[in-house]
This record gives sequence, structure tokens and C-alpha cells, in this order.
Amino acid sequence: MSDWLPFIVSGVASGSIFALAALGLVLTQKTSGVFNFAHGAVAATGAYAFFELWQLRGLPWPLAAVVAIVVVGPLLGLVLEWVTRTLGDARVVMRIVATVGILLALQGGLTWAYGALTRRFPPFLPTGTFGLGGTRVGWDQLVAVLVALAGAIGLSLFLSRTRTGVAMRAVVDDAPLLDLMGTDPTRIRRMSWMIGAAFAAASGVLIGPFLGLDATLLTLLVVQAFGAAAIGRFASLPLTYVGGLAVGILSACVTKVAADVPGIAGLPPGIPFIVLFAVLVLLPKRLPTDRRRRRPTILAAVSAPPRPGRAAVIVVAVAAVVVPHVVGARLPVYMAGAALALIFLSLGLLVWTAGQVSLCHAAFAAVGAAAFYHLTGSGVPWFLALLLTGLVTVPLGALVAVPAIRLAGIYLALATFGFGILFQQVFYSTDMMFTTINQRVIPRPAGFSSDMAYYYVLLGVLAAAMVFVAVVLRSRLGRLLRALADSPLALTTQGTTVSVSLTLVFCISAFLAGIGGALLGGVTEAINGSGFGPFNSLLWVAVIVLAGVRLFRGAVVAALAVAVVPSYSSISPELQTTLFGMLAVAAALLADGAVDVGRPFRRWASASEGRATSPVAARTAGRLGPMATEAGR
Amino acid sequence: MTGGLSVDGLTVRFGGAVAVDGFSFTAPPGRITGLIGPNGAGKTTTFNACTGIIRPAAGTVGLDGVDVTRVSVAARARRGLGRTFQEVELFDSLTVAANVAMGREGSLAGANPLRHVVGHSGDRRAVDAVTAEALEMCGIAELAPARAGSLSTGHRRLVELARVLAGRFHLLLLDEPSAGLDEHESEAFAGILRRAVAERGVGIFLVEHDMALVMAVCEHIHVLDFGRHLFSGTPDEVAASAAVRDAYLGAEVGDVA
Repeated sequence: MSDWLPFIVSGVASGSIFALAALGLVLTQKTSGVFNFAHGAVAATGAYAFFELWQLRGLPWPLAAVVAIVVVGPLLGLVLEWVTRTLGDARVVMRIVATVGILLALQGGLTWAYGALTRRFPPFLPTGTFGLGGTRVGWDQLVAVLVALAGAIGLSLFLSRTRTGVAMRAVVDDAPLLDLMGTDPTRIRRMSWMIGAAFAAASGVLIGPFLGLDATLLTLLVVQAFGAAAIGRFASLPLTYVGGLAVGILSACVTKVAADVPGIAGLPPGIPFIVLFAVLVLLPKRLPTDRRRRRPTILAAVSAPPRPGRAAVIVVAVAAVVVPHVVGARLPVYMAGAALALIFLSLGLLVWTAGQVSLCHAAFAAVGAAAFYHLTGSGVPWFLALLLTGLVTVPLGALVAVPAIRLAGIYLALATFGFGILFQQVFYSTDMMFTTINQRVIPRPAGFSSDMAYYYVLLGVLAAAMVFVAVVLRSRLGRLLRALADSPLALTTQGTTVSVSLTLVFCISAFLAGIGGALLGGVTEAINGSGFGPFNSLLWVAVIVLAGVRLFRGAVVAALAVAVVPSYSSISPELQTTLFGMLAVAAALLADGAVDVGRPFRRWASASEGRATSPVAARTAGRLGPMATEAGR
Repeated sequence: MTGGLSVDGLTVRFGGAVAVDGFSFTAPPGRITGLIGPNGAGKTTTFNACTGIIRPAAGTVGLDGVDVTRVSVAARARRGLGRTFQEVELFDSLTVAANVAMGREGSLAGANPLRHVVGHSGDRRAVDAVTAEALEMCGIAELAPARAGSLSTGHRRLVELARVLAGRFHLLLLDEPSAGLDEHESEAFAGILRRAVAERGVGIFLVEHDMALVMAVCEHIHVLDFGRHLFSGTPDEVAASAAVRDAYLGAEVGDVA
């Protein structure tokens, strides 16, 4: 028992911090109905603000902590409240992408401003220890426990005893009624977002010294609070608090076990996500549902099957074929673009056609890359290995379809997000995937090893995949998926077992994403797990939403935006992430997914339709032409 | 158990509240059966329990002599139980024709992964034929290319009805199909229902607030009040019943009939 005590103590301390973050998350989720994916990024921002004020500006730490928690956090809370209020009754995809966009913007911005290297975060609390029941407890650990406890008790007193607190509970039940009774629901929601964000910032400040200053780690660590919130079923504050402690203690104990069992070394950091995934999948029934009615008018283009004109296809195809001859040394970014277009195609099929959100798509691609390495390494011919790679990824798609069957909307997104992180933490560094050295050599097909030849291979596979998807969309499955996106209930009552449709689309999507990952590996001929992290999954979803609802065009536009366009600008990757994040928020806010980056082009093109130029030709020339000529110079 | 729908001792609870309390009834094939009752009587809850959308606390649901109480929504639909919704559930981004076609294609896909992807060789033609027939029957053939999300409530109700008529259903549960329709549209609606029963021998089980429509088309009516069975009988008997009159408190059941 005494062996375990130190682990339990540290588990209670870290669990308290998770609990604190989770309480803030549940509060905002309850009062606004929007799940805040950016909660971890708010915590990270709080920690950075604290670091900036205390270490770089020389403020005394208590003052810096107060500013970070009481000013910076709530300010972000106000932004989040505005975003979620403006979202209104937007579709689930948009509500997910809005807060995911904020996460990307904050995380990218912090990394850009402070650098990607982890900075040491000196302890600000006393680091001494005292004896307690045969083990040593750090004062900093005690403070974390006390702060979380005070937060939990304070919050529950606030909700039960104060007028504003009672109104906060009322706004959950019936916001219009509260409005009629003379209390402005917006003011109440604003308050709850400020409190929720302050809780997040406090957890960031507390966890900083344990972790170091690293925007990605801080963001992900507070994502562990999602597990705690799931235990509280996203509604119960006491259960959420208990859930935080449970997650902390469980992680610490598994860390102890893993120290003796070499095979599960990757497991401990994955525990909170196992909890999240398990709770969501096993106990989904009483999750708070979305009581808002869907917006009745769905925009015309949504989930329409792609009908590209022949001229468009020809022009894009010609441009794609000509690219290697005009872009010179930039060819590798176009190669990456071709591989990514395949991944975006697979993601678009899920998001736009079937109305499902996957926040673990990078895991599909990673599995594809790793499987391809093993297959080609054991002598399977290149093209056969590529096909088999897709098939190897299919079971993973089927696995992710399990939460899709049991959950919908935001909870599905959350489950896939947890799954993606879990997968990365547990498997990426094993011998099955990228090993601890984190490098795998991915071959190109024999006879196509030059960049130009490999580019045409990529193009050929992409074209084949597009034909395959077009066939799927025109088949019965395509019709079923579009029906499913509109109303799963109506489709079920027609006699379709929708879990079959869902499993099929996830399998097809994983198949294509796996192949995309393998091809992406061939671009650099060596690949590691860093290009397939959970943040890549988030970024990809944000970009696919930005790129608009037309499946094929969206995939190409998204790939160009992520892989090609940045190489023509001097913007750093971190700032690009921020930019994509902000654009995704804007896209979600502007028109409930009706944002279609091609629209201005189309309007301009249709105005000039009288002329001989085909509208699509003009549009494509407008998009590709300047880049191509600039590169040719 | 007989043909059609036969429900025995149906009880549905929401937390502590009993929405439906020991309700037993039948809705046989080849005729129109009505289910009426004041707001909150448990009519839609009864429908949801019959189609499997909610699980009853007690009681059994029989379909054509088979106990389907534990059978999934989709499997009940494949056994011939079709329904419409009080708040119309259409595939809003699809065309009217695609919506109606899905009534047949949805059950053809069923639970079979292969049939999700490819149909049998004659499927396409069969689906087109039943779609055209259902659209014609509901008088909305000219709406076929319109997007369902852009329609008025009245048209949406007709599309939903056409979809359920295009399906391989022999028992239709219609939840307030005439809500939002004007008097003229309601009459046309009654005509469609009668024709469906006469030409296809389907059974229809109807929740309806429009008393004129109920009295005009139903052969038999069940009355539900506060989740309990209040009365069953022909329209004339229901109109004459003092108990029903009391439950409706001046809804003038008899006058309308």
C-alpha cells in the first residue's frame, strides 16, 4: 500500500486540476449548450499570460496569477460567449468547427509568439513537502487540491445561493422565459462563460510548473478534463469533480503499473482519453441532448452530389498535369497537396455527404503510413501494398463507427477526438507504427522515384479515388448517406439500419485516408508521427469546412490551402494555424456552413459568362494562374 | 394476436411521469383506425412506442401476430410498419422525388451492407415506378424536382405521406397528418387515405386533432385521456359518449360529426 500512496497523492493533485478545468467546461456547456473544444487552449493562454506577466514583466506572482485568472481568462470567455451566441442554431458541424477554430487560433498564436520549444516554467508555489500518513505531500500539490476544492464549493454555493447563480440554472431550462421574467439571458450566459474560462485559466496556471510552458501539451492536458466532464455526463458538477479526481488517480496508478510492465509504457498518458471514450461509448443514453430545433431551411448546395462541368474537369486536369513543368523546385508541395487532397476527399465524404464529424482523421492517415511501411518492407509490390494499406485501415474506421452509431453530433466529435489522442499516445511510438526513434522510410514505386514521376503517380491515384467516390455517391449508398445527413430518424423509419450505413462510410473514409497517409509518406520518403497528431485532425476539419460543401472541389481547395499556398507566402506555420483557425470560426459564423470560397469567383465568372471563356476555366485560371506564373519566374 | 397492430398493456414512463398507462388496442389491416385524445394524452408517445423509438416500461407490441416489442425501429419498418411525424421529418436537402423514392429504397437497403451499396437488377425500375405512383396518388407529381426543404408545411405533409405510401408498408401510423392543412387540403387528404385503403388494403392508424377528418374517415376510434384508455367505438358511438365529451370539455365532438 505504501508503494501506491505517492502515486495516489500525485493523482489527487493532478486530478484536482482536471476537476477545476472540467467544472468550468460543464458550466459553459450547460448554460450555452455549446461544447467548448477550446477549453484547453483557454487554459494554455492563462498559463502563458501568467508566465509573461510574472517571468517576463516582473510582476509578483500573486498579482500575475490574479490577472491571468480574473482578467485574461474571462476576456477569452467573453469572446467565446459572443461566438457561441452568434452561432445560434447552426448545424452541429459548424458548432464544432467554431470552437475548434478558436483552439487552433489560440494554440497557433501562442506557439508563434513564444516558440515551439518547451520553456521551463519555474515553480511559484513552495516546493517543500510535509509528511502525511507515511508519504510526502508537496505544498504545491496541497495548494492545487485546495484551490480546486474551493472552486467546486464556491461554484456550487454560487449556483444555489445567489440570484445570478439561480438565473444561470434557469437559463439552461428556458432562456426565453428568463428573458420574459426580466433577466437578460445573454448577461447570464456571459457570466457563466467568464467563470468557466477563469476556471480553465486557473487550471492552466496551476499545471504550468508541473508541465513546462508548451502550448500543445497544455492544451492537450486540459483536454483530459473532457474525460472528467464525461463522467459527470456533461451536466453534474459534483460528479464532474469526482470524475476529475478519478481520472487523476487512475492515471497515476497506471503510471506506477506501467513502470514495471514495459509493454504498456505508452498507456498512462492515454488513460483520460480511454475514460472519455469508454464513458461516451458505453453510457451514452442520458447525455444532455440538443433541445434546439434544427434550422428548417438547409442551404441548397449542402450535400448535393458533385456535378462538375466537363470544362472544369478538363481545365483542372490540364493544370494538374502541367504543374511539374512550371513550378520548378516547389514540386514537393504540390506532391504533398495531391496526397492531402485524397485525405481531404475522405474527410469531406464524412463531413459533407454523411454529416458525420471525425476528429481523428490523422490517426487513419498515420495507420496507413505505418502499414504501408510494413507491407512494402516485407516485399509486397508497391501498388498491391497501397491497396492493402487501405484495407488495413478499414477496421480502424469500423472501430470509430461504433461511437458514431451510439452518439451524434458533438459527442461523436468528442469521442473521435479522444480516440485520436489516445491512439497517438499509445501507439505512435511503438514498433507497430513510428517507433521511439520516430522515423519510417516510405518507398516510392520502382521506376517512379523522381519527384516528377511520383507526382504523376499521386495524381493517378487521386483521380482513381475521385472516380471511386463519384461512383459511391451515385450508388444507393450515396443516396442513403445524404438522407442520413438530413434525418437519421426518418431514414431509420424507412427500414434502413443506419448503423450499417454509418459503418460503411467510416470504412470507406478510413480506406481512402489510409492510402492518403501512405502516399504522403512517399513525398518525403520518410515519415514520423508528428505530421499526424491530433491537432492535424482538428486543422483538417477546420479547413474542409472552409473549403466548402462541393466534395471534389473542396478536397482540392483544402489541399491547396494547406500544402501549396503557404509555400508562396512567408507566414510561419504557427501563424497559418492561427489564420486557418480564425477563418474557420468566421466560416462557421457567417452562414451556417454555406460559406463557399468559390462563390465570389463564381459570381464574377457568371457575370462574364457572355464571353467565350468558360466560367470554371476563368475561375480556375484565376486561382492557379498567378501562382503558376509567379513560380515559373 | 391478429393481423395488423395489436398492443397490450402498453405503459410508458418518463422519469416519474406515466405518459401511457396500460393502453391496449388494435389497428387491423384494411381499415382506418383513429386515436384521439386531448393534448398530452399520450398519443404520440403511443406511436413512438409502437414504432420502437421509445422503449415501453411494460406491455407488448404485436405486428401481424409477432411480438416486436424488442425489435429495432428499422426492423419493424421492414416488417411493414410505416409512419409519419407530427413535425414532418423529410430529407430536406434532397428533392421531393428522392425523398419519396427513399421510402422504398430505405427498406431495400435494410440491414444488409451489400444491399446498401448495390441493389438488385430490377430495383431501380421498381423504385421509380412506386415513386411515380405515390407522387401521383398524393397529387404532387409536379413537385418532384423541388427540394424538400423549400416546401410549405402542407406540401411537406404530402411528401411525407407519399414517402410512406412508396414504402413496402402495410400498416401506416400517421401522426396528425392534417395539422397545418386548410379545409380543402384536409378533404383531399381524406380522399388519399381512403384510396390507399381501398386500392392496397393497407391499415391506417391515425392520430388527428381535426375531428371532421377523424369522424369522416375512421371506421373505429380509440380515445386516450391522461395516458389511459377512455373509450373505443365507431365514430357515432364516440360522438355520443358523455365520457369523451367531458374529456374534451367543449371541443364539440358531436357537433362536428
